[in-house]
Amino acid sequence: MSSEQKRIRKKERSTRLAIWMAARSSRNKTFLDRMCRKMIIKATAVDPVNDFMRDEFVDNDQGFDPEELDRYQRGEAV
Amino acid sequence: MPAPVPFDPQEIVDAKYDERPTREGVTTKRLICAACDIACSVVGEVKKGRVTKIRSSDNPIFKDNICMKGIVAPKGLAHPNRILHPLRRVGERGSGEFERVTWEEAMSDIGSRLKKVVADHGPEAWAVSTSQWNTSTDHGLGRRVMNHVGSPNWISGVALCAGNTAAVNRFTYGWFPFGDFSSTNCIVLMGHNPRRHSWTPLYNSIRSAQARGAKLIVMDPRRSSSAERADIWLPLKAGSDAAMMLGWLKVIIDEELYDKEFVADWTLGFDELKERVNEYPLDRVAKLTGCDPEMIAEAARVYATSGPSIIPWTPITDMQRNSTSGIRLQTILRSICGYVDVPGGELLQGFNPDIVNESTIEMHHVLSDEQKMKQLGSKDHPAFTYRGQLAFREPTKRVYGQEYANLVTGCHMATPSETFRAMAGEGEYPVKAFFFLGNNPLMSYANMPLIHKAMMNQDLIVSHEQFMTPSAQLADYILPADSWLERPWIHDMFGWMSTIRFSEKAMDPPGECKSTFEFWKQIAGALDMPETVPWDTIEDFYDYRVAGTGKSFADLISDTDVHFKKPAFKTYEKTGFATPSGKVELKSSLLEELGFDPLPYFREDPPHDKDYPLKMFTGVREDPFFQTGHRHIPEMRARCPEPQIFLNEKTAKAAGVSEGDWVTVENQLGSVKAILAVKDAMPDDLVRVPHGWWKPEMAQGNGSLSGAWDYSDAQLCRDDPDYLDREQGIPHLKGIPCRVVPFASDALDEVGGKTQHMEPAE
Ligand code: SF4
Repeated sequence: MSSEQKRIRKKERSTRLAIWMAARSSRNKTFLDRMCRKMIIKATAVDPVNDFMRDEFVDNDQGFDPEELDRYQRGEAV
Repeated sequence: MPAPVPFDPQEIVDAKYDERPTREGVTTKRLICAACDIACSVVGEVKKGRVTKIRSSDNPIFKDNICMKGIVAPKGLAHPNRILHPLRRVGERGSGEFERVTWEEAMSDIGSRLKKVVADHGPEAWAVSTSQWNTSTDHGLGRRVMNHVGSPNWISGVALCAGNTAAVNRFTYGWFPFGDFSSTNCIVLMGHNPRRHSWTPLYNSIRSAQARGAKLIVMDPRRSSSAERADIWLPLKAGSDAAMMLGWLKVIIDEELYDKEFVADWTLGFDELKERVNEYPLDRVAKLTGCDPEMIAEAARVYATSGPSIIPWTPITDMQRNSTSGIRLQTILRSICGYVDVPGGELLQGFNPDIVNESTIEMHHVLSDEQKMKQLGSKDHPAFTYRGQLAFREPTKRVYGQEYANLVTGCHMATPSETFRAMAGEGEYPVKAFFFLGNNPLMSYANMPLIHKAMMNQDLIVSHEQFMTPSAQLADYILPADSWLERPWIHDMFGWMSTIRFSEKAMDPPGECKSTFEFWKQIAGALDMPETVPWDTIEDFYDYRVAGTGKSFADLISDTDVHFKKPAFKTYEKTGFATPSGKVELKSSLLEELGFDPLPYFREDPPHDKDYPLKMFTGVREDPFFQTGHRHIPEMRARCPEPQIFLNEKTAKAAGVSEGDWVTVENQLGSVKAILAVKDAMPDDLVRVPHGWWKPEMAQGNGSLSGAWDYSDAQLCRDDPDYLDREQGIPHLKGIPCRVVPFASDALDEVGGKTQHMEPAE
C-alpha cells in the first residue's frame, strides 16, 4: 500500500469515527452519547473573537408573544 | 467533522442533556426550517399552541445554523393575508376576484375538470410545477399521481437550480456528489456567495474549513464577500465559467497534475478530452474570461495539488447557455484530480437503505415509455428529461439498487420553456391544465410574457399556496397550504446526501390549511384512484417510509435528530460507476447517443448588440428573502424595501444615472424598474438585477399582478435559442444583454445615499 493510500485509509477511518460520534451525539441519551456530544462541542468551539457565526439578529434571540401573533393574524394593530 | 479531544468524564455525567433550559409554559419541538431550500435543523418554542420562537438546534453538529428568515417565520406565517380557506375564481381569469368554497366543493370540481382535460387532450395535457420548498416537499406523491394518470409534464425551479446539475453529473459518474466540507483542503466557489443569512450552513461550513486552513478559490465577476475572503479571486466575465475550467484543465493536463492512476483505471475518453482541451490555450482562455493567464494557472495548480479539493454545487453554472459543459467540466476536474468518493473530496453517498426514498415513491415505472417520450423538451433538449436519463436505469440498479434515482428531483423533468409554449398553444401538443404547489411559476422561470400567455390559455389552474402570489392571482382554485411549523416532515435531501432528518409538528395549521400529502391524497380521490395514495395520514405514510429502521416515525423522531448511513468510500471499486460503461465517462457516451458533443465546449456570446451595451446577471438571492417569497414580512421588507440594481460608478455615469435613482433595465424581451445602488465592487458594464420582486401590498389582478409587471426579473430572462443551453434547454441568466436608462416618476419614493465604496456586491 502506497503512502497516499495509507493516508486516505486513515482519513476514511477518522471520518467513519466522526459520523459515528455525530450519530451518538444526535441521540444524546446514554452516557456514551453525551460523551460524544461533549467532545463535539469542544472540538467545534470557536474563539468568540473570531466567531464568524455571531450575528446581532441571531444573538438577540428574538421571539414573539402568542397573543401578539394572534392579534397580528386577525389583522389588528400590534 | 471534529477530531477527538480530551474531556472530563464527570462533566459529561453532570451535563445530562445539553439543551437550553426552557421557560415555564414553553415546550420545544425539533424542526427543519423550510423558509428556504437549505433545510436547517432548528428548534421551535411553542407557547399556548403557537410557535413563538425559532432558534438554532441544541445539537452541536447543527450549531448556529439559523438565519433571519427562520427567526421571523412565526410572524411571517401568522400574517393576516395568509390564505386560510379554499378560494374559487369568480371573475375573469386574472381579475383577482375569488370566493370562499369548501375543500370538498373545490376537489369535486377540480376532479371533474381535470378528467375532462385528460379525456379531451390526453394525460400529457396536465402539467405540474413545484419548487418542493415553501409548502415543502410532496415526497414524490405528485409524480406518483401524475405517473398513474399518464402525464410526464412535471416542471420545477430545480431545472435551473441544482436539479439539472444532478442530472448532468450523472453523465460523468452516475450520481450527484456532495462535497466533504469537513475535511477538504480547498474549496472552489464558482460565483456562489453563501453568507451568514443566505445558504447559512454552507457559509458555516466554508468558514469553518477556512478556519482550519482550507484554501478558498472564488470565481466571480463582482467582488463578493466570499471573493474578499478568498486566497485567490478570479474576476471572470459573467458566463465564462466553462472557458475558465477548460483553461484549468489545460494547465492540469499539461503539467501532469492529475491522478494518473485513477485516470488510467477508472476513466474513459482522456485522450479525446486532452485534444479538446488543447483548443483552449491560456491566452485564449484569458481573452474569453478577462482574467490574467498566470492567475488562472495558479488557481488550477492550487486546486489540483492541495487536494482533496471540492467544487460545491453552484447556481451559476445551472443558469447559463454553457450550463451542460460547465457542469460537466466540474465533474471532469473532480474526476481527473482523483477527488471522487474520497474523504475531503466529492462523496457519492447513494440512498439511505433504511428509508423508502422519494424516487421509489414516485413510481416512474408505471408511466409507459410512450408517455415518457412525450415529455415536453425531450426532442430538442433531452438532458434531464426521461429521454436523456432512461439509460441510467440499468447502471443505477447495479450500483444503487434501484432503477430510478430522481436526484434533487431533477432527473426526469420536462423543460420549462417547452411546457409554457405548449400551454400557450405554441407547442407540439396542447397543455390545458396546470397545477402549482408552493411555487410562483410566473416569476420563477424565463420569459414571463410567455408564461402569462400560457396561464391565460388554460382550462384549469390550481394553486396550493400560503399567500396570494402573482401566479395564484391567475388560478381557478387556490387551496390553502400548511407550513413547516404545522406538520411533521422527513427530509432525505432528495437523494443528494444519505442522511435523513426529521421534523415535528409544532402547532396546528390555521384555518383549513392542509399539507401537500393531503393535497395529493385528495386529488387522487377526486380522480377516482384513491389507492394511489393509500395511507390515511401523513404519520402512517412516514411509518411506511421509515419501516426499514425497525422503528415507527414517532419513535425515530423522539430518538434522534438525524439518521446516518454508515459512511463508505470508493465504493466504485466494488460496483463500478453508475454509467453505461461502469467508468467515469470524460467523453459521455450518452450525450453522444443523444446527438450532442460528448466533450465539454464553450459557446461564445452571440454578436454584440449596440442597443444593449451592458450585460446583466440575475438569479441572486437577497438575505431577507427566498426567491419570490417573504416580501410581506415587515421585518424583512424593512431591510430591503425596494428592488435594487447594482452598477459601478463608471457604468452608472455612462448610462446617465446615479445612486438612489429609479432606473429601468431593458432588453429585447421586457423591462423592470429598480433603484440604483452604485458599488465599486461591480465590474464595468455589468448589472446585477435582483431576483423575484413583487409587492404584496400592490393591486392584485392582471393589471399589476401585485407589481410583478413592474419588478419581476423574469421579464428580462430570454429563452430564445441563442440564450438557451443546448442540451438542457435552460436559460442564460449570467450575461444577458441589456441597457439601463433613467426612470422618471414622481410617484416613486427616492432612496438617496452615497456610493457604497467599501461594501462587497452580494
Ligand atoms: S438558511 Fe435560514 S431560511 Fe434557510 S433553512 Fe436555514 S434558517 Fe431557514
